[in-house]
Amino acid sequence: MKNPLNRRIPREIRRDWRKYAALFLMLTGIIGFVSAVYIGNGSMEKAAEESFEKYHIEDGHFELKEEADPVLLEKFEARGIRLIPQFYKDQEEDKNRDGVRDAKIRLFKMREDLNLACLHTGAFPASPGEIVIDRMHADNQGIRTGDVIRVGNLDFTVSGLVSFSDYSTLFEKATDTMFDALTFNIAAVTPEGYERIQAPQVWQYAYQMVPRPADTADQRDRSETLAEQLAVLAATGGLADNRREAEKLSPLELLAAPRNELTDFVPEYANQAIHFAITDFGTDKAMAEVLMVIFTLVLAFIFGLTTSSTVTEEAAVIGTLRASGYSRREMLLHYGAAPLFVTLLAAVLGNLLGYTLLKNVAVGLYYNSYSLPLYETRWSGEALLKTTLIPLGIMALVVTGILLRKLRLSPLKFLRRDLSRTRRAKALRLPAWTFLKRFRIRIFLQNLGGYLTLIIGIFLVMVLLTFSFGLPATLEHEQDEAKNHLLAPYQTILKSPVDGKGQVISVTEPTAEPFRLAGLKTVDGTRTGEDISIYGYIPGSRYFKLPDALPEGQAYVSSDFADKFGLKKGQELRLKDKYGTEIYLFTVAGFYEMPGSMALLLPEDAFVRAFGLSEEGYSAYLSEKPLEEVEENHIATVITVEDVLKMARQMDHSLGAFMRFFKVICLGIAFLLIFLLTKLIIGRNTVSISMVKVLGYENREVNSLYVRLTTGIVVAAALATAFLSIPFVAWLWKLIMKRMNGWFGFYISPGDVIKGILMLLGAYLLVAFFDMRRIRRIPLTEALKNVE
Amino acid sequence: MIKDAFLQVSGVYKAYGEGESRQEVLRGMDFSVRKGEFCVLLGPSGSGKSTLLNIIGGIDQADRGYIAINGDKLEDLDEKGLTRYRRKHLGYVFQLYNLIPNLNVKENIEVGAYLSEHPLDIDELLQTLGLYEHRHKLPNQLSGGQQQRTSIGRALVKNPDILLCDEPTGALDYNTSKEILKLMEDVNQKYGNTVIMVTHNEVIAKMADHAIRLRDGVVRSESYNEQKLNAAELEW
Repeated sequence: MKNPLNRRIPREIRRDWRKYAALFLMLTGIIGFVSAVYIGNGSMEKAAEESFEKYHIEDGHFELKEEADPVLLEKFEARGIRLIPQFYKDQEEDKNRDGVRDAKIRLFKMREDLNLACLHTGAFPASPGEIVIDRMHADNQGIRTGDVIRVGNLDFTVSGLVSFSDYSTLFEKATDTMFDALTFNIAAVTPEGYERIQAPQVWQYAYQMVPRPADTADQRDRSETLAEQLAVLAATGGLADNRREAEKLSPLELLAAPRNELTDFVPEYANQAIHFAITDFGTDKAMAEVLMVIFTLVLAFIFGLTTSSTVTEEAAVIGTLRASGYSRREMLLHYGAAPLFVTLLAAVLGNLLGYTLLKNVAVGLYYNSYSLPLYETRWSGEALLKTTLIPLGIMALVVTGILLRKLRLSPLKFLRRDLSRTRRAKALRLPAWTFLKRFRIRIFLQNLGGYLTLIIGIFLVMVLLTFSFGLPATLEHEQDEAKNHLLAPYQTILKSPVDGKGQVISVTEPTAEPFRLAGLKTVDGTRTGEDISIYGYIPGSRYFKLPDALPEGQAYVSSDFADKFGLKKGQELRLKDKYGTEIYLFTVAGFYEMPGSMALLLPEDAFVRAFGLSEEGYSAYLSEKPLEEVEENHIATVITVEDVLKMARQMDHSLGAFMRFFKVICLGIAFLLIFLLTKLIIGRNTVSISMVKVLGYENREVNSLYVRLTTGIVVAAALATAFLSIPFVAWLWKLIMKRMNGWFGFYISPGDVIKGILMLLGAYLLVAFFDMRRIRRIPLTEALKNVE
Repeated sequence: MIKDAFLQVSGVYKAYGEGESRQEVLRGMDFSVRKGEFCVLLGPSGSGKSTLLNIIGGIDQADRGYIAINGDKLEDLDEKGLTRYRRKHLGYVFQLYNLIPNLNVKENIEVGAYLSEHPLDIDELLQTLGLYEHRHKLPNQLSGGQQQRTSIGRALVKNPDILLCDEPTGALDYNTSKEILKLMEDVNQKYGNTVIMVTHNEVIAKMADHAIRLRDGVVRSESYNEQKLNAAELEW
């Protein structure tokens, strides 16, 4: 026989449908959103990964000073690569032909072999007057298919919006630190259209390795050799592919050869424009998951309390059932079923929404930031498991915990409706305050449990609010910190310590100080695969305030690195080559303040020994002024304050909308939580309230007893928990950061703390209105009912 | 102590509170009940009737002494054992019915049936209880008498060895009370359950096989009715 009590579950949900509907909608929204992030993220990640094959992404590209002679190209291809010219012209874009430059536009001929474009809307250009442009740039600038834009002094009709597979992130230069989709655009036109454009042409060649590389390590090894070979081949017109042979060539031989100059070489794995978006996908998942856990905890808490209140209301029924032989387990399953059922339903609907409506929101976040190709929605087992099991698990734990505590009482206590756990204490003697004041104190003491729960609830809401206000502030603060702690106003990273002719690049700028730079990855500890920058500073450095020499194998670590990995002085550290398997061992000599940096610092000579480098030449410079004397084609990137700010702007652009949405959710949760908790308190005091009304108290006086007391508690709790929640969120933040690349601490400004408090009190104001209405509606007859 | 005792109450003591507020409710209670007997516990308020019933029902514990059913002592049972005991042997009827508000009459009876491996036929029981036409009604659509019948049905449907009734007519008017008593009598005769009914109504003793009078926590007197009255014949 099926348990007849089960039939009560849907009826119970129907009876209290407003409460269940509110909680269900909140849970569905959260689960749906997280599921959407997972599905959107997974689908986009898959699409991005597959785009390598689907859109024939290059293994790398290089640029020459002028168009290569066919003989030289043959020599290039003989080094195990297939070459495809992809020349381009940079021009000015004027989106509305008002004579004001809106962006820089990079124009290619339609590419049909490598680096194909993915068409989002419209059609590829069919006539010389048509153009396809990057979809994200078009969105940012409000350009639509069919619009006419001016490129240089020519007008083009936008025939379609596309994403270019080798520009999924709009980096103007592959080694830039940050991209800008607002003022930089990529486009393609027909060959005839391309000829019309008046601008200098950049001689860029994409290549594909033959045979294809087995893995990234293989690609890296071959690319390094290739870079050297191409540089020498270009410089010698194909007569030699290494420096030793090149040195043997006579000037006459060189004069007759089709000489050129390699001005840029970017292997695919080092191309930010291709890889930045893919690397960025993982961080959102970590953030969404933590948020889901906090939200579910808050909602589980609400569910637990309302279920506990149902148990109080049904004390006599529970007593009867227990007296009849129903076990505690059966009662637990019965009263825990509705919350779990609602959670399961929310998980199912949330996942459905995650795959449909909300997925578009999540995907929109990515499309807002990156020029990604079209994607197919992928089923994600991880999403289903995490967005179902985590909420159900949390709900089961919290509800079971609260119910078990309540159901531990004997059947007799339930029958007598005496659910107090402790023996009745003697009445507390109160000072000779006014009667109403003493009355309020009595109400507080009588409902101590309820008010404590309210305070815990307010703490949880404040945690959410602190998070939503603190996240943008943290990003901003971090950028400020990084800006103020920049190693130097200019950090110039060279492509190579030597130029195309093998000459060491040197500078004369008096403020310039060379340093060496390498990149490794962590292999164990808090997070494997974390990118670590290795700095080799010169003796007596003006920018690095560190000792000139260190015992062999020792190195300083940046304080953020130490913080994230819990590194101690004297601890041994294992790092791995980024693309290879070589392991490097270092011992922590001390810590160095470099906000925003995951870095390891060691004296130059130790750096040279550690990486087995030649002592000649430096790969990077720090300076007070820009190094104008270094030719642009030798510079990989220059990091300035602007680059740091660019990052803040970009993060704010992609996270800003999310946080605004999050604040609205927090407001809703704050309202719901305080509403339900004060409802419980008033519910428990219905008879008392009715009684004081019978005695002649007016609603206004009753409100002054109950609502004023609750208001005082809410205000005090809001103030106290606002400050308590900061260390708690900082701890949560550390948990999130441990799963992401990089490290920075949580920050919230006093202004944001006040905003959070005001938001919570605003929600309470509305609740207070409902509470007063509820008190007004309590009938006098309530006090006169027969109570056993 | 009688020879063929089914329920044995032996030297049961129970007190509530501590220090000055300590109150002894049961002060050495001794009696036995035979199987199938209709036994009435009589006494004024505070005599310990309900406390005793709760201890027999395994929902409260004696401070001293013991209760034995068929020779098995309740004090030997742990929490789970007591639940099993209630599930298998007991049916409870309360003064205020304690029906589940959002289950209809039939479903409320099913709540009891679910606990038994061999429950009585529910439809037949509904007929016996005179509730068949009302089986789809919720408790708040029933009169007090109908609610109490439903509560008796819930207790009875698992065909318990012992039916514990705590003032089952306490909240009912005269006629309805008589109806309920008649029903209890019929049930006792038809199903042979041992009925232990707590009441302060002396008249009800006349329809019982065995009447136990309590005062101040002890048994004042016990009597067996050789010529008991039918419930219908009772007048008060």
